[in-house]
Amino acid sequence: MAVATPTTVRDTASIAESLRRKRDVKGVAFQAMMFLSLVITLGVLVVLLFTVISDGWPVLSQRLGGFLTSTLRPDAVDAGVVQGLKGTFYLCAIVAIVAFPLGIAAAIYMEEYAPQNWLTSFIQLNIRNLAGVPSVVYGILGLTIFVKGWGISSITGGSSPLAGGLTLSALVLPVVIITAQEAIRATPQALREAGFGVGATKWEVIKDHILPYAAPGILTGTLLSIARAAGEAAPLLLIGTISGIITRSAPWYDVTQVQDRFTAMPTLITSWAVQPDTGFSVENAAAAIVILIFFVILLNSAAIMLRNRFESKRSG
Amino acid sequence: MTATNWDITELQGSPRRQQREKRVQAVVFSAALVSILLSVMIVGSLGFEAIRYITEVDLSRLWDRGWFPRNGVFDLKTLIVATLWVTLIAMVVAVPLGLSAAIYLSEYASVRARKVLKPVLEVLAGIPSVVLGFFALRFINPNLVESWLENANSSGNMISAGIGVGILTIPLVASISEDALSSVPNALREASAGIGARKLTTTTSIVLPAAISGLVAAFIVATSRAIGETMVVFIAGGAADTALFASNPADQGLTMTAAMASLAAGSDEVVGSGLAYGSLFFVGSILFLVTMGLNVLADRLVRKYRLEY
Amino acid sequence: MKLRFLLTPMLAFALIAAACGGSDDAGGSGEDGEIFVSGSSTVEPISVRVADEFFKTNPDVNIAVNGPGTGDGFKLFCDGETDISDASRAIKDEEASDCEENGINWVELKVGIDGIAIMSGPGNPIECLSFPDMYSITSPEAEGVQNWADANELNAAVGGSGDLPDAPLTITAPGQESGTYASFIEIVLEDLLEEREQDITTRFDYQSSANDNIIINNISSDDTSFGWVGFAFAEEAGDSVKVFSISEEEGGDCIAPTAETIADNSYPIARDLFIYVNVDKAAEKPLLAEFVDFYMDYGLTTAVTDSKYVPLDDAAMAETRAAWSGR
Repeated sequence: MAVATPTTVRDTASIAESLRRKRDVKGVAFQAMMFLSLVITLGVLVVLLFTVISDGWPVLSQRLGGFLTSTLRPDAVDAGVVQGLKGTFYLCAIVAIVAFPLGIAAAIYMEEYAPQNWLTSFIQLNIRNLAGVPSVVYGILGLTIFVKGWGISSITGGSSPLAGGLTLSALVLPVVIITAQEAIRATPQALREAGFGVGATKWEVIKDHILPYAAPGILTGTLLSIARAAGEAAPLLLIGTISGIITRSAPWYDVTQVQDRFTAMPTLITSWAVQPDTGFSVENAAAAIVILIFFVILLNSAAIMLRNRFESKRSG
Repeated sequence: MTATNWDITELQGSPRRQQREKRVQAVVFSAALVSILLSVMIVGSLGFEAIRYITEVDLSRLWDRGWFPRNGVFDLKTLIVATLWVTLIAMVVAVPLGLSAAIYLSEYASVRARKVLKPVLEVLAGIPSVVLGFFALRFINPNLVESWLENANSSGNMISAGIGVGILTIPLVASISEDALSSVPNALREASAGIGARKLTTTTSIVLPAAISGLVAAFIVATSRAIGETMVVFIAGGAADTALFASNPADQGLTMTAAMASLAAGSDEVVGSGLAYGSLFFVGSILFLVTMGLNVLADRLVRKYRLEY
Repeated sequence: MKLRFLLTPMLAFALIAAACGGSDDAGGSGEDGEIFVSGSSTVEPISVRVADEFFKTNPDVNIAVNGPGTGDGFKLFCDGETDISDASRAIKDEEASDCEENGINWVELKVGIDGIAIMSGPGNPIECLSFPDMYSITSPEAEGVQNWADANELNAAVGGSGDLPDAPLTITAPGQESGTYASFIEIVLEDLLEEREQDITTRFDYQSSANDNIIINNISSDDTSFGWVGFAFAEEAGDSVKVFSISEEEGGDCIAPTAETIADNSYPIARDLFIYVNVDKAAEKPLLAEFVDFYMDYGLTTAVTDSKYVPLDDAAMAETRAAWSGR
């Protein structure tokens, strides 16, 4: 560095003097630029939220209750999203039921049981790769296996929430495994040793000490996965959801609807957004987006808050 | 027996306890194997139809005037050029913004500022892609793109879609870059400051070069994500189910992902006859291979910086 | 604790799913109360309205309606996956033989008439197009033409005026899976195609979509574009598109599409709309038969006009009802 090897003889006082006088214009400009980029990014979020809320305002302000409770209808002013909400609810429920136990169990194996051999590193590599596979490719998996798969289609009922939920489970599984692994890895070794020291078996240590300690981290990952599953549209397009009309809206508690034809929030938004009838394409689509974003942000914020709380608790 | 007379098996645990151990191990092991099964199913469901497609298709039809799957015309360059445009535009948006955000958060922001700013970025990361598609079509296209370029297609085009995808990938670039920057040891920064370098010099000449493999990884992961993004392009790309070859990004474009979604959308499952159905799997296979290649590359780079420090 | 909490509902869920799976068939439309309608996106609005109204008096029925296109609809119909197939053209021989192979018996019911509107962007100065004009820009012989004027030589050769304007030409129209596509070929192009010994098809190099709304969006965004959709969609689009008047011969009478000109057959590009009902399923499922009964009443009248199509005249309506009762 030029400053470190001065060619002219100067005493330290004069260096300090010159540093004090000359303001670091470039440095300040750089910092301002970096900050500006961040502001632009956050500004986009604000503009986005403002756009969807103002586009959806006629629906949100005048008939929010009706919009939330009515079914698909021929005319935009009557149409509602209740079937989309139920579809998305069941998709998320199936993801929670299928992907979480599987993902957490796989993470337990990878962190606590897996020997260091080629199979383990192959599984690990495979999980990382699966996490990067585009969602539309998972749609193909869902279409061929869960919708049309021989024998499987009679269980899922074809293009149903069950087929969609299984597809989304496959989609989030790698993420669930990776976050659960990170949470388990973060548990102190002392916890295991203390458990083994009092004669607990491996499973007892995992069940009674490691999992409770890792629970907040695991939960954060699972909440984020649910949010991701709720917003995914591409796999559902390939699986096939109904956009014309479904007359019946089975009650929320009726689990048999997981085998029926269905629609979900993201696919409703997609099919509405590309119509020129502005009642559907602007007002209804934007209102549906606001509802979807509300839930997704709620889930995300819960996950972030949970993580921050535990992080600060442990480090502090 | 007296109480002092211990049986050694009791110390090893009851057989029931040991059996349960074995059962649990078997269960968690099979759960881990599910991930392998998933990969096998993905490759199987793609490969079977894709191979049948490639053996049946007239290969000259893969280089024609456009993408018209139901007419047996499958011009790959139409999809590839559109994919490249959208990805390029997305990176032009996401890399400067994401990298700057990462530099600010890692090098300049106070602890308190980080606490506020990072969660907001994470909220942006959680916005579903259909929402970005709607935003790109209803806001970015009329207000930004069409006001710059008069000939831009008003029902959507590659520029609007690219910007939408870019916004979607900003948080990803920011988060991976920030990981890379913050894993640069503080000793390097202190050494630099110690010899009198300014913050700017330290950041640009010491920290960024030191984190370069991580930053490149961020760029690659974001590229892979942009190539694989479907809904934004499907909604805001402006192309209907088919597309003529277009090299101008202000025109409507059909990316690989949007072509797949178009084959499926509005229909109850994908029925379409013969080759149109097969093309879905063929394009899916290309997409799968390209994104996997990029991800493996990024993975290596990330592990490289993890090893360095 | 934690794991058991998660595993119990999972097991319960799997059991329920398996139990239901045993009694259900793969199509999901086997039960009496389940009716699945698919096919033409042009007929979809009529079926949606009929389903919506029928449901008001039959709350136990579950009707799902989708609109992937007439061709895709027939594929599902002949696989036995749908109960009713909406169609904007009559079933083709090869589709009918597909159905026959799979043992699907059907009845064809004409439900309404739709004109095909030929359109461009709102600023297009042309008022009237003839069949030769359309042939010269949409036939296979026009492949590669990207400017109206480039088609003039062909236009003159097929009996047109040969003075199409020098302006860029982008075409967005329904794709092959659509009934509107087949009808356009049959009505506008077929005679000239045969005369000139061409394949019975259009040029392939244009933007196509199964979604009429996307087609309208694309057409309205460009003043010199060209395309066609059903009259109902064009009318709904209002001033955002320019709808041409049509003459069969160059210099003949230019007729604009309206409800009247379509109903009295003076507008040359009109087509019939159909539903195809699987008669065996109608015999098995009383609610399906009831639904079609209702279709024959409400569907042919209110639903058709609300969907902005042209209702059949009295004789044709009686014919349709007779076809249904004599199935």
